[in-house]
Amino acid sequence: MTDELVTIEVDGRELKAKPGTMLIDVTDAAGINIPRFCYHKKLSVSANCRMCLVEVEKVPKPLPACCTPVNEGMKVSTRSPMALGAQKGTMEFLLINHPLDCPICDQGGECELQDVAVGYGSDVSRYSEAKRVVPQRDIGPLIATDFTRCIHCTRCVRFGAEIAGVRELGATGRGEHMTIGTFVEKSVDSEMSGNVIDLCPVGSLTAKPSRYKARAWELTQHDSVAPHDSVGSNIHVHTRNNRVVRVHPKENESINEIWLSDRDRFSYEGLNSEDRLTQPMVRKNGEWQEVEWQEALEFAVKGLQSAAGSDGDQLATLVSANSTLEELYLAQKLTRGMDSGNIDHRLRQSDFRLDGNDSPVPGLGITIQGIESLDAALLVGSNVRKEQPIIAHRLRKAAKSGAKVSFINPLWIDLHFEADQFVSTPAVMVDNLASIAKAASAKLTGNLAKLVKAAEVSETAKSVAEQLKSANNGVIMLGNQAAAHPDYSLLVVLASAIAEATNTSLSYIPALSNSVGAALAGALPHRGPAASLVEKCGANAQMMQSKPRKAYLLMGAEPGFDFWDPSLINSALDQAECVVALTAYHSESLASCADVMLPIAGFAETSGTLVNAEGTWQSFNGLVKPQGDARPAWKVLRVLGNLLDIDGFDQNSSDDVLEELKSHAAETAIDNSVSTKTAGELNSSTEGLYRIGDVPMYASDALVRRASSLQRTNSAEPAAVRLSANQAKSSDVEEEETLVVVQDGNRAQLPLIIDPRVPDGAVWISSALPGTEKLGGQFGVVTLEKA
Amino acid sequence: MPEIRNYTLNFGPQHPAAHGVLRLVLEMDGEVIVRSDPHIGLLHRATEKLAETKPYNQCLPYMDRLDYVSMMCNEHAYSLAVEKLLGIEAPVRAQYIRTMFDEITRILNHLMWIGTHALDVGAMTMFLYAFREREDLMDCYEAVSGARLHAAYYRPGGVYRDLPDVMPRVENNRFRSAAEVDRLNSNRGGSLLDFIEDFTQRFPTYVDEYETLLTDNRIWKQRTVGIAEVTAERAMALGFTGPMLRGSGVEWDLRKKQPYAAYDKVDFDIPVGVNGDCYDRYLVRMEEMRQSNRIICQCVTWLRENSGPVMIDNHKFAAPSRKAMKEEMEGLIHHFKFFSEGYCTPPGEVYAAVEAPKGEFGVYAVSDGANKPYRLKLRAPGFAHIAAMDEMTKGHMLADVVAVIGTMDVVFGEIDR
Amino acid sequence: MTVFKNYIKSLFLLELLKGLRLTGRYFFAKKFTVQYPEERAPMSPRFRGLHAQRRYDNGEERCIACKLCEATCPALAITIDVEAREDGSRRTSRYDIDLFKCIFCGFCQESCPVDAIVETRVYEYAFEKRGENIMTKDKLLAVGDEHESQISADIAAQAKYR
Repeated sequence: MTDELVTIEVDGRELKAKPGTMLIDVTDAAGINIPRFCYHKKLSVSANCRMCLVEVEKVPKPLPACCTPVNEGMKVSTRSPMALGAQKGTMEFLLINHPLDCPICDQGGECELQDVAVGYGSDVSRYSEAKRVVPQRDIGPLIATDFTRCIHCTRCVRFGAEIAGVRELGATGRGEHMTIGTFVEKSVDSEMSGNVIDLCPVGSLTAKPSRYKARAWELTQHDSVAPHDSVGSNIHVHTRNNRVVRVHPKENESINEIWLSDRDRFSYEGLNSEDRLTQPMVRKNGEWQEVEWQEALEFAVKGLQSAAGSDGDQLATLVSANSTLEELYLAQKLTRGMDSGNIDHRLRQSDFRLDGNDSPVPGLGITIQGIESLDAALLVGSNVRKEQPIIAHRLRKAAKSGAKVSFINPLWIDLHFEADQFVSTPAVMVDNLASIAKAASAKLTGNLAKLVKAAEVSETAKSVAEQLKSANNGVIMLGNQAAAHPDYSLLVVLASAIAEATNTSLSYIPALSNSVGAALAGALPHRGPAASLVEKCGANAQMMQSKPRKAYLLMGAEPGFDFWDPSLINSALDQAECVVALTAYHSESLASCADVMLPIAGFAETSGTLVNAEGTWQSFNGLVKPQGDARPAWKVLRVLGNLLDIDGFDQNSSDDVLEELKSHAAETAIDNSVSTKTAGELNSSTEGLYRIGDVPMYASDALVRRASSLQRTNSAEPAAVRLSANQAKSSDVEEEETLVVVQDGNRAQLPLIIDPRVPDGAVWISSALPGTEKLGGQFGVVTLEKA
Repeated sequence: MPEIRNYTLNFGPQHPAAHGVLRLVLEMDGEVIVRSDPHIGLLHRATEKLAETKPYNQCLPYMDRLDYVSMMCNEHAYSLAVEKLLGIEAPVRAQYIRTMFDEITRILNHLMWIGTHALDVGAMTMFLYAFREREDLMDCYEAVSGARLHAAYYRPGGVYRDLPDVMPRVENNRFRSAAEVDRLNSNRGGSLLDFIEDFTQRFPTYVDEYETLLTDNRIWKQRTVGIAEVTAERAMALGFTGPMLRGSGVEWDLRKKQPYAAYDKVDFDIPVGVNGDCYDRYLVRMEEMRQSNRIICQCVTWLRENSGPVMIDNHKFAAPSRKAMKEEMEGLIHHFKFFSEGYCTPPGEVYAAVEAPKGEFGVYAVSDGANKPYRLKLRAPGFAHIAAMDEMTKGHMLADVVAVIGTMDVVFGEIDR
Repeated sequence: MTVFKNYIKSLFLLELLKGLRLTGRYFFAKKFTVQYPEERAPMSPRFRGLHAQRRYDNGEERCIACKLCEATCPALAITIDVEAREDGSRRTSRYDIDLFKCIFCGFCQESCPVDAIVETRVYEYAFEKRGENIMTKDKLLAVGDEHESQISADIAAQAKYR
């Protein structure tokens, strides 16, 4: 294609454009408005609404601007009598079958049909015959539908086919009988389904959780950053009367384009959950009492000082990586100020053998947008589609344009693009990776060299190694299940060696919204702010639990749901003298072990900064007042620091905290280098039934666990024991039977589901779900008993 | 020997003769005014600023509350400004209705003025008589709009509803005999136009009565003749408009000079004064009432003979009829958008003025293309008039201040805005 | 001559006597004072008084919570919260009109697509306690129930003008 531009004239304005560009793209770029319904810049052109008709000189009929390529000397008028007449006529047809619903329609006020009807349509109707009615369909708890309002633009259908990769919605019938629907009556709940709400130009598809809650004109729009996955999607938070009413995506081409995952879109519901802790609570003589802040803080300080005042090592701080950068920084400052090095955010990791030789600031290493231009990707232990929907969407784009994507996973995963999956029990995963390392002739030493030497090189391993080697732009990504793997250190070193040998890059997909930020803020036992190694290395998350300390400080984490091994943390906390919990929610699992619960502000209630997977710092403001007496966590930590007489807690705003951290870490970039070629022995085994415990999409943090609509979707399945049919047979259990799972002496009763996605020799029991909060680690040997 | 000093007197804002919330700080040399300093702003409601936050159609009711004795004239100026911005024009029947109600408003205003002015100066009866006639005109207001004062009847693009065919009637009650109720209802048997026509027939007699009471009355003349004389040059220099300007002999009336609504289609004369004192201004206003009556008569005749729409039929700028809204998609969408978002005007700036009873009431609107004005400036005649307070009262006695306030016909709704 | 005439007029208080004759005549004439509250001035069906919410004949409230009245209210006097009722229909869970803010412009009535919010002929209402100025949904419905016959008659009378 030539670089030469053609000159066209639109409404008397001269515009330059690449030949072959669609007219509507040219006019959009020039700010000339042409009405449209079916055209959308992110979707393919279907040209079925006919709203964008314009007049082109020397063409006898009006042409649709969305599928008319520009060519030299073209003269277009968008407001000529012919164009206006055509637009008016189209509008009249569109309104013929539209029901008189505006007053009860949620779209009213932000409806493209209304806007275009007022802007381009006639103001009187000539139609007096009956209108069609389409039967109601329930497509799940997230999207409210009324297909009578549908104007058949098919944006939702094209979104499903082209963007989400799931053809959830389709059009059936022709002409007046055309309807949009799920072919079979089922719910629409892929991880990105909410985007059809934004795409729908009318009120056919609206958000169910915010249904009837507010009119567009009552809402105040604030910019913010999504608080769940590590993409850090840019969002618009819409508030009314100091309440978050809904969340919409904010366009940012380099991060989330115009999309938003359902988790980010609907999780705000958890903010108004009945579980919210609104008043500080103190346990006195075994009874929980609501108290004033002053009393609660004094109680906490007294507890911390008496338990860990003389011996700093007795203080253990466990923080959620969904906390803001400011909170994490203050938490580590407070911990280190108490002369303790015991702080960690890696609550879902069990293998810390690499600490010290690990990647200083693990992150993507490439940009999120850059994922699209990959040629090859090997993902280890990642259900990327559920964990990081936007990254998966970018990967899908890469795969669509020819990238080879392979997975080494403990479970088969549902994907919306072509990929090779190597599924095996966790122990075999290491072998699989080792065999690729061998095929790629990666250089390793010690244990790992032995392991690689012993590995058999399969055909598939060869082809993966070949793909990586031949790629200009290849990457090896480690996901959540790799991080939770008992042999994480082995996987990291192997992956890093393969990356080196194949000239690709090593990449981590951080689990939570501020995992990268936590490393920058120094919320690690062996690394301080800016990820510099500290002299006095503290205990890591695992050690803090296995060797109980006297005092615990928890921030944003619930013992039963946010830890690798719930039974371990519970027993550690039970033995502690003082447990101070900073939490936005009052939960059973906290109430049973904490001594003080300090209510902190949740998402959208506090100002702060999140660092996403690619290392972009994104700050946001507090948008609504925290509920009840809750306070932003950075303020609570600051006051705790003052009361504990620790220096350097004089910040007056979260900006001050951020400035302080920036003076250390502003220049610190993502650094995925691994400074060793060997690792310890294999922890995982092939003996017995091995548990694979993932974190389901809608159980990833306290907020989303309380988002009621998301919890009603099909994706939020209750806890169960999942076995392959073979394994069930050999374990002599049957479908729908209730089984008792025994892990490290902990027992839980769960139903059995036969699931072909589970490899033989393994049992899939998700963590972070009610029912599994008393079980052991995410990975480990379990036995099944009949109930 | 005591020191001789000027005495500073605070007049208002709670004084019954201060017409609302006027506060005057008077510097007195004995009984003689040396300087008078009007303090305004006690009724400031930020109408101009408020208008910047409201869609064009929603701002209209606030116009009633500016000069709250000549409500529809304010609405008229605002509607004209918006119409000018949009480039639309009200249907001719609406133009006649507006003309008629402008003049009804003028009579309402002047009745209020003569009542209070005379009351301030000492003639109690005038107030009662004036309010008796006002009652009939209020009924007209109520009949068309549903409100006796804050009508919100004119809308950009026309008027809200057509004139009613039926007038509400007095109901039987134990205080009046059936015959008397019949008598009270005698002019309420027909339409509003019949009622207005009946009024116009009675009204000249009423004006005669007022004149009987005042025009030759020696006390009235002593209190008004030669008081606050303003020459034609000074009146123009001070920015006077309306009767204040015409009282000084300047023949200036927007209804003639730049006709709007149906004023170019009706006959009327402009009375002017000679001496520019309070008495001349009184005479001018009395004559204006008679002229208004004349205009109303002509409008009634025209409206009887011609029917037609009273609102433009472009529903981008006016709500569709109830029927269209209930039955048509287009109607419903336009109804919905009209009441939620209003309409956007092309960018630009306009000035529209009407000859309000007190003078030139103007609306200057700047649009940036949004659905609400970027800036709205209201030109209130009373503001210029009250600025001349010092010049008009200087050298007069304290009691004359009351006469001057009366003759200015100040209403603080418009001055403070 | 004129001077002499004026002198005579002035001396014998002629203009004052003329005025007295006029007022004297009215002194003995029938009074036109309206004996409120027993007697009322005639009232137009377009009258814009106290608000009311109406119901359909079957007792179902008309309001569908479209919020147009709230949007169009120049004085921001109306506050509406919406919820889906158990049967799934869109209904208000709160409908408050602050009568201190209301300017009785009638726009709410004009904007209502289902004639639910109306302004009645009621103009005699007073508040004795704080908070009574808020017309809640229940109060509005009660006003509507009480005056429904008058309201529907007025709306019918106005139908041809709207």
